[in-house]
Amino acid sequence: MKLLALGVDHRSAPTSVREALAMDGPRRDEALSALRGEFPGAEFVLLSTCNRVEAYAASDTPESLPGVDDLTAWLARFHAMPAPSLASHLVAHHDEAVVAHLFRVAASLESLVLGEGQILGQVRDAYQGAVARGSVGPILHDLFQNAMRVGKKVRSETGLDQGKLSIASVAVDVAREVFDHFADKTVLVIGAGKMGDLTLQHLAELKPGKIVVCNRNLGRAVKAAERWGGRVVEFERLNQALIDADVVVSTTAADEPIVTRDQYLRVQRARRNRLALILDIAVPRDFEPGIGELDRVMLYNVDDLQAQVARNLQGRKKGLEPARAIIERETSLCLANLRHQRNAGTLLKQLGAYAETVSERELQRFHAACPDLTDTQKDAVAHLVHRLQNQYLHHPRSALKSAATSADKHDPHALLNAVRHLFGLGDGPAHHS
Amino acid sequence: MVDRLSVLCFAGTYGLALVCDLARFAVRGSARWYATIALTALGWIVHTLYLANRIWSIHELPVGTVFESLLVLAWILVAIDLYLEFRSPRPVAVGVFVLPVVIAILAAATQAPRQGWTGWGGGWVTFWGVVHGILLLGGAAATCVAFVAGLMYLIQSNRLKHKRPPRLGVALPSLEQSERWNRGGITVAFPLLTFGMLIGVGLMLGAKKSGGGAEVLGWSDPKVVATLALWVVFAGLLHARYRPEWRGSRVMVLTMVAFAFLVFAMVGVGPFLPTQHGNGLSLGGGPAASGRTP
Repeated sequence: MKLLALGVDHRSAPTSVREALAMDGPRRDEALSALRGEFPGAEFVLLSTCNRVEAYAASDTPESLPGVDDLTAWLARFHAMPAPSLASHLVAHHDEAVVAHLFRVAASLESLVLGEGQILGQVRDAYQGAVARGSVGPILHDLFQNAMRVGKKVRSETGLDQGKLSIASVAVDVAREVFDHFADKTVLVIGAGKMGDLTLQHLAELKPGKIVVCNRNLGRAVKAAERWGGRVVEFERLNQALIDADVVVSTTAADEPIVTRDQYLRVQRARRNRLALILDIAVPRDFEPGIGELDRVMLYNVDDLQAQVARNLQGRKKGLEPARAIIERETSLCLANLRHQRNAGTLLKQLGAYAETVSERELQRFHAACPDLTDTQKDAVAHLVHRLQNQYLHHPRSALKSAATSADKHDPHALLNAVRHLFGLGDGPAHHS
Repeated sequence: MVDRLSVLCFAGTYGLALVCDLARFAVRGSARWYATIALTALGWIVHTLYLANRIWSIHELPVGTVFESLLVLAWILVAIDLYLEFRSPRPVAVGVFVLPVVIAILAAATQAPRQGWTGWGGGWVTFWGVVHGILLLGGAAATCVAFVAGLMYLIQSNRLKHKRPPRLGVALPSLEQSERWNRGGITVAFPLLTFGMLIGVGLMLGAKKSGGGAEVLGWSDPKVVATLALWVVFAGLLHARYRPEWRGSRVMVLTMVAFAFLVFAMVGVGPFLPTQHGNGLSLGGGPAASGRTP
C-alpha cells in the first residue's frame, strides 16, 4: 500500500499561488477525471480550501502510484503554470506521514486559525466529491472516513474549537450570556465605521428584532442601516435610542465619552431597569467606565473583548498536546487497520484462487475418469463441487474479514499466518503493526 | 431500616449524577451529559417506585410526615431538573445547582421524624389537611427553583461584571433565562404558599373551636410564626419584582432570604424550637396524618 499527499498551504505558498491552484466544484471534478485518465491504477481525492490545495493519492502497488514529479508535472499542466516555480511551493508527504497529515488537517491543527470549524466540512466535501466521481477506492475510503472521525474526536475531547477568536464573535458570545433570545431585542449601533459593521454582521446572526443605527453623519448611518435592514436615528435623539435598545454597539471616533454615568443612570431608570449589554469597542471609550457598575448593565470595552480572545486562544492551545496524542494514536491504529485489510484482502483472493484451482483440477480428473457423463450431469457435479468449496471456505473467509475489520481490538496477524499455513499459501508480508 | 436503605439507593444515584455533572471540567464530549441524564433519570425512577410503593402500603398520599414530605419535595425537584436539563443547551450546568439541593433534602429526610400529627383525624379535616400539605409542598418546590435560578443569576452576573471566564467548565444560563426561571418560581410559589397557609389557619381555628386537646396549634407556635414570616418575605419579594429599581440582584438576594426562611420553617423549627405541629412537622405535613410510623 502506497500513499502520497502533495499540495500547498498558507505556510508554503502565497495567496496568488493558492488562488491559481484552487479547484472548486466543476473544476475539481474535471481534475479528478483527468487524474483518473492519467494514472488509472491510483485513487485520488482533491482538497481545495482558501488556505490549502492538496491532492491525495493511494494505490495497492508502488508502480500504480504517481511520483511527486509526475503529480507536480500534471498539476502544472492542468493549471497552465510553470512546473519549476510550482514545485518550489509544493509540500509532499509519503505513506504513514500522509495519514498523520490528513488527520492533523481534519482536526484543524494545520489551519490558519487553530481549531476553526470549517475544515472538517471541507474534508467531507472533498471526499464526497471524489466518491461521486468514482476516484476513491478502498484505501482512501478508509483513510478519509477515519480522518473525519478523528477530526470530530479531537474537537470533542480537547476543546480545540472552544471559544471565539475575533472581537466581533466574542461580542456575540457575551450577548448570548446576557440574553436568551433576540427576536424581541433592539440592537443600537452608535457610529457607522468598519468595526461597528463587522460586529453587527456577527450580531445579525442572532436575528435581533430591530436594528437601529445612530451616527453624526446621517448619510453614512443611512447606508449602514440599509445594509442591515435597520432604521436610522439622529444623533440628537441618542438618549431615546439608548432607552429603547437592549444591546448597544458603540464605535465612534469621539475624543471623549459620549455617554456619562449620570446620563446613563437616567436612561436606565427610563428603561425601567431592563437588562442592557453595552459593547463599547471605540478607542477612546464612548461610555464612562462607571456605567458598568450599574446593577443591570453589562459594559464591555475593547480591552475586555480582546482579553477574552486571548483567553480563548490560550484555551485552544492547551488542547494542542492532547490533540497531537490522539492523532498519533489514531494514525498508528489506522495504518495498522489499512495494512491488515490490504493483507486480508490479498489473502482472501489467494484463498479463492487456490480453491478454484483445486476444484478445477479435481473436476477434470473426474471428467477423465467418467467420459460418459452428459453435459447436464457435468454441470450438476461442477455445481456440487463449487457449493462444497464455498461451504468449506465460508468460515475461514468470515473470520478473516472480521479480523481485518476489528484489527483495533485484536491483532489479526496470527490468524492470517495460520490461514496461509493451513492452506499452504506461502509466507505473508512482514508484521508492521 | 428498609426505608433508609431505599432512600440511600436513589440519593446515591443522584450523588453519582452530580459527580458526573461536575466532571465537566475534566471530561469533554456528550458522553458525560448522557451519563448525567441517565443516572438522574435512573435515580428518579427508583424514587418514583419507592413513593408509589409507599402510597400502595399506606393508602394515602405520602405528605403526612416530615420524612415523606421531604421525599416528595426532592422527587418534584428532580423532575424539574430533568425537564430543565433537556430544555437547556448541554453545556449549561443545571444539575450542578439542583442536585445538591435534592441531596441535601434527602439527607434531611433521613434524619426527619416519621410520625404524623395526631391532633385531628378523619373526615373533611383529613381531606383539607392533605390539600394543605400538597399546596405547601408545591410552594416549597417552586421556592427551591427560584432559589437555584437566583443563585445562577448572581454567579453569572458577578462573572460578567468582572469579565471572568466560566470556572471548571460550568456554563450557566443567560441572565435573562435565570431571571425567567426565578420569576416563574416566585409567581407559582406565592399563591400556593398563601392558599396552603390559609387552609392551615382554617384547620387550626376549626380545631380550637371544636376544643381539640393539647396538640392544637396556637398563633405563637414557632411553626406558625416561621410560616407567617416566610409568607411576609414572599409578599415582599413579589412586590419587589414589580419595582424596577429592585429588579436583578436585589430580588435574587431576597429570594435567598426567602429560601432560608423556607429551610428554617421546614426543618429548622422542630429541632430547635418546641412545636405542636406534628413533632417538628414539615410544611408539607398536614393534619391529615394519623400517627403513622414507617
